[in-house]
Amino acid sequence: MNPDPTTHNTLRRDEFLSEEDLDLKNLTHDELIAWWNEWLLMAQATNDQDQHTYSHGVFRHEPKV
Amino acid sequence: MNIYLQLTELFNKEKLRAIICSRQAVVLHRLAIMSKDGDWILREEEEALNHILKILAAHGAHYRFGAPLDLRWLKGGWSSHLEFQYGNLRVRTDFFTRPPRIAPNVLQNLWKSQEGKHPAFVGVSELAELKKTNREKDYVILGELARKITDIDGQIFYSRSARDLMELKTSHPDAWQEGLKKREILQSATLGLESLEAALDREKRLLIRENEVRLDRYEKASTAWSVCWQKLSKQNNKHNLMDTHANLIAHAEGVLPYEP
Repeated sequence: MNPDPTTHNTLRRDEFLSEEDLDLKNLTHDELIAWWNEWLLMAQATNDQDQHTYSHGVFRHEPKV
Repeated sequence: MNIYLQLTELFNKEKLRAIICSRQAVVLHRLAIMSKDGDWILREEEEALNHILKILAAHGAHYRFGAPLDLRWLKGGWSSHLEFQYGNLRVRTDFFTRPPRIAPNVLQNLWKSQEGKHPAFVGVSELAELKKTNREKDYVILGELARKITDIDGQIFYSRSARDLMELKTSHPDAWQEGLKKREILQSATLGLESLEAALDREKRLLIRENEVRLDRYEKASTAWSVCWQKLSKQNNKHNLMDTHANLIAHAEGVLPYEP
């Protein structure tokens, strides 16, 4: 049976982040630090790709030397 | 321990000098882990900058292209960028004293609110302002951040969800009326959900363009400095951080304007 569209719409929520992301709030402090460190380690795989770019601040790219 | 928390602890030894902001603050708000790099708002004091530089020198950091970590440039909104290797991690540390879109009184209150906090990191509203960048993915964070704001006015001002806003309009009509004065796109709610969704998209586009224009201004102002940097970076690799810092300042004077 199809759900009542009106009821369905009121229950629907705009989603921004995945459930996995939002699960951070359920971690203990130590679990958060462990997962954070693990994530940072895994993220090193893209170091070559972002070698000359910036994540923050007023600069976008390093000048080519 | 995590390297960014460890650095923040060292930066703030005996005195609050640095507040974690942007994406590492997103982690501390337990929303998502999404950046390898750390950035901090620094106290606009000579002592604070010297202390940070010493900590970074002890970690073997070197400058990336950017403004020298010097009050004259930081007061103009410039950012300084340093990097070092920590075991298997490439650690990038980005600094500024004048975060974009944060009013001076809000910044002053932020410093007061973070006094004695370990770690010190930006609150939800300040983070929401910092996330109004030119990157699409920051609006995803902004959307979720708005749901963490406890006061209704803040939710109405920052929400990126048309559905949430429609509910707020119904449940808090007085706050909504006030919100209409501060956020233009809310007017579209009277035309329905789809109109509000379209208005939210337009608002995001405008914010993205505003930030692009801001960055363009800094890029234009740093053109001569980027040419100078190409020569300096070869010299910098041969010196320790404190010597490099003095060398950068000597060369940046007259080349990189204090104000963009």
